[in-house]
Amino acid sequence: MKRTAVILLLLVLAALVLLPVLWTFATSLKPLTAVNAYPPSWTSPDMSFQPYVDMFFFMPFATYAVNSLVVATIATVLTLLFGSLAAFAFSRFQFPGKNIFLLILLLSQMLPGASVIVPLFQLLTTIGLYDTIIGLALTHTAVLLPFVIWLLYGFFCCIPREVEDAALIDGCSRLGALWKVLLPLALPGLGGTAMFAFLGSWNEFFFSLILTNSDTTRTIPVGIGLFVGEFQDVWNQMSAAAVLFSIPPLLVFLLMRKTFVKGLVAGAIK
Amino acid sequence: MKRATPYLLLFPALLFTVFVLAYPLAQNLFNSFHSVSLVRGTGDWVGFGNFEKVFQDAVFWLAFWNTLVYATVGTVLALVIGLAFALLLNLKIGPITSVMNVIYTIPWVISPVVAGFAWKWLLNDNFGIVNHWLVSLGLINEEITWLGSADTALACVIIARLWQFYPFAMVMFLAGLQSIPHDQYEAAAVDGATAFQKFFHITLPNLQSVTAVLLLLGTIWSFNDFNIVFVMTRGGPINASMVLPVLVREFSFVQFDLGKGSALSIVIFFLLISLSLVYLKIISRREPE
Repeated sequence: MKRTAVILLLLVLAALVLLPVLWTFATSLKPLTAVNAYPPSWTSPDMSFQPYVDMFFFMPFATYAVNSLVVATIATVLTLLFGSLAAFAFSRFQFPGKNIFLLILLLSQMLPGASVIVPLFQLLTTIGLYDTIIGLALTHTAVLLPFVIWLLYGFFCCIPREVEDAALIDGCSRLGALWKVLLPLALPGLGGTAMFAFLGSWNEFFFSLILTNSDTTRTIPVGIGLFVGEFQDVWNQMSAAAVLFSIPPLLVFLLMRKTFVKGLVAGAIK
Repeated sequence: MKRATPYLLLFPALLFTVFVLAYPLAQNLFNSFHSVSLVRGTGDWVGFGNFEKVFQDAVFWLAFWNTLVYATVGTVLALVIGLAFALLLNLKIGPITSVMNVIYTIPWVISPVVAGFAWKWLLNDNFGIVNHWLVSLGLINEEITWLGSADTALACVIIARLWQFYPFAMVMFLAGLQSIPHDQYEAAAVDGATAFQKFFHITLPNLQSVTAVLLLLGTIWSFNDFNIVFVMTRGGPINASMVLPVLVREFSFVQFDLGKGSALSIVIFFLLISLSLVYLKIISRREPE
């Protein structure tokens, strides 16, 4: 009896939690006439995937998607590359200033984008990278790096030094040891970190919104975020875009749930 | 050479940190004491003029209080809900628990822009399902323009924010609950403690440090949050849901006053640094090394 009550409660809560998601999904399948019909209802007789096709004609979502992919890929590669070098330094060397660097890293994660955006905008404008894909990718790299370094630092610290020392005795250089011994051992961690970096860039809205200004450079979240204010009535196509955009993060979460949760918790606490 | 190795390894990462941290802070400081316009470029030294403009702007104070409410109320509610969900999941009623765990975590995985979008549509006055339900149930007489009226806009963005944040609290609390040693409960059972007594004397005290971390992190993150408010209301109507990060954009890129925007950035920076230092203090106490 008590068990049934708890299960019932769990199911009701699940429905409540998923309400915004389900409502958006239902809307994405309706024709415009059903979306703007009163009273609103969950279904309509002529539901189809047509809005998922129409959205590409209504807004340049194909371009936005390519931009999002390119920016996220560049940011992922760069953060992983520079992040593992830095994490290697932190986990394997003692040097003056190390704690200060770590502190700065931690603090920079707490800093709001709003407190650096004006100078970043000025800088990118000055060097000609405002409203460019590469400018946005570099900004994402910079924003994501502290988090990536923290994550990798955690992974590298778990790998015993003896493995590397063996490589050093065998005549490997320090960097050789990083490349040939440490990185392969940290591969699962690197994979998880790459995923975080990619999603971090994929979902990033604030910098992408302010540092781009044309359809050729905008990313998907900017498209959705701007579009909400401007074209109120095509909620079905907007919903379709929102659903498509959410698939990568959702897939990653469902497939790699353990890593996902562990990484987010570790990154937040450390 | 050997001594330089760690610095060489750090160099690229450091370069990026300078790019997003050191340089912007310095430039912000410069901007805030000059008249800087997006249209006319950099002008004269104005002393504390930009700060005066910020502090004399009624919208700043409105946004300041809104941000405080948004950050603290949203976080506290998210923690309460997160704890309730964690306790429910910790009952471990069969395999349904792990399925529910996945479902309850979904709001956290969804991009903030999509979250803002979905809530905005859900709360739409004419075609949103919330109004329709409330009217059908007779709870309200006519549709409410949730996001379009000054009385409800802030509450709505807070709800959306807490919807996104509670899963994080839930996951953390669940981990915390599972790390409480069983013998404490067993000992309490032997002494004849009621479920309430166990909760208040064993469960809650054991979750103290997790709660402290969550409160601060949640407050800091919500304090910084631009996305939900921007997507749902853009700070409106008439600034009723304006928060500081959105106001920086407003000053800088809508009013074109980069000097004023920078001055506000500096104010935010100091507010945040003080919060972060408290956070650092708490976590360093937690892991004495």
